[in-house]
Amino acid sequence: MKIVISAEGAELTSNVSQRFGQSPYLLVVDTETMDFKTLENPRDTFRPGAGVRAVVFAVSEDVEAVLTGYCSPTARNQLASNGIKVITNVSGTVEEVVEKYKAGGFVQGLAIKKEEKEQVTKYINRDILVSGLRNSAKQFANILPVTVGVVLCIGLFNNFVSKEALSSIFSGNVSLDTLWGACFGSILAGNPINSYVIGAALLDNGVSLFAVTALIITWVTVGLVQLPAEIASLGLKFALLRNGLCFILAIPVAILTVMLLNFIVG
Amino acid sequence: MEKSHKSKRKTSRPSGHVFIFPLIILVIYGVLFVLVPEQALAALRDSGKVCLGILPPLAFVFVVMLALNLFVKPAQIVHLLGSGASTKGILLSAAAGIISMGPIYVWYPLMKDLREKGAGNMAIAVFLYNRAVKLFLLPMMIAYFGWVYVVILTVLTVLASIVNGCLVAMFTKKKTG
Repeated sequence: MKIVISAEGAELTSNVSQRFGQSPYLLVVDTETMDFKTLENPRDTFRPGAGVRAVVFAVSEDVEAVLTGYCSPTARNQLASNGIKVITNVSGTVEEVVEKYKAGGFVQGLAIKKEEKEQVTKYINRDILVSGLRNSAKQFANILPVTVGVVLCIGLFNNFVSKEALSSIFSGNVSLDTLWGACFGSILAGNPINSYVIGAALLDNGVSLFAVTALIITWVTVGLVQLPAEIASLGLKFALLRNGLCFILAIPVAILTVMLLNFIVG
Repeated sequence: MEKSHKSKRKTSRPSGHVFIFPLIILVIYGVLFVLVPEQALAALRDSGKVCLGILPPLAFVFVVMLALNLFVKPAQIVHLLGSGASTKGILLSAAAGIISMGPIYVWYPLMKDLREKGAGNMAIAVFLYNRAVKLFLLPMMIAYFGWVYVVILTVLTVLASIVNGCLVAMFTKKKTG
């Protein structure tokens, strides 16, 4: 079986390091053969999340136990959740510790004190919330600039594009208008918020809901801009077929949506 | 370590290309303000009104986005997608498409991996089509088009995704023989 020991040096004669996450070396020792493997641990003491690399190392080496002087509650919980025993208050040389471990000299295991458990839960909940907020803010920040651009475009559209020009494209013929809407939606790309803003502006300018619905559907189902990426990953046949069928389906779906809406709302 | 910390902070900012479009529009506004100031001002006022209109639903969008980020993990989506070609598997693929977030092109390499691990074209097509249902944008869509319209469109989109998946599976099967 294999165990990880935090150590001050890269040899079996080195002393056990007192902090798991920030120890200079981590030694994976095979307790049967005394063969060992060394990981030099970056001592990035002040950086949040220091010790994650040590935890990942222990998990990836599929070890049975981690032996160290002290292990943070967060690291201990992560190790324990991967079925790794954590033994703390260990001292002496790596060699001595391995012998003591083989002789059953350590009685600590997965148990975490109540107050440590509460602290771990608090840390994990906080980390999840912070990470969720960070991801959402990042996604939002990516959406906003283009949305601001689209909103500015709507102002231009309302004041510089005449209704006559629009009606030369959207003539009032349901099938043709829906087809045009689907065409525009297929060419345009970006966050769907923009399709709603553009759709609402088109409705205000007298374009039919059939065309707007087709635009909204194809905006997200047909991706001419992303087509090269789809072809590269999923193949030419699949990508062309899928996008083509999405385009064709958008027209009956748009017509059916508006017809059902008219039927329900009256 | 210092180096990786810096690069991590850099990736959390929006990439530069998202600013190109609004910058072009601002340049157009600048030109129009010189040529036709009154019409340009009216356009800016119109945009301001649209902007005020989208702020409340945008706040909801952020809340739903946060909830999805907190409770839905990519690993869960992968698990749903690998559920096979049965009715249950297809419905789970649809669910995976609905709850998935981020740009579609991010998902293509993952689809490729899943296909290599045995996921069918139908499940992949259903997943990709259902990305049209944006849970986090539903408040925005309702604000613009009303909830009845949104419910009808959402239900029809899910149904159409299954039709799309069946057709893609049928044609790819025939052609590959």
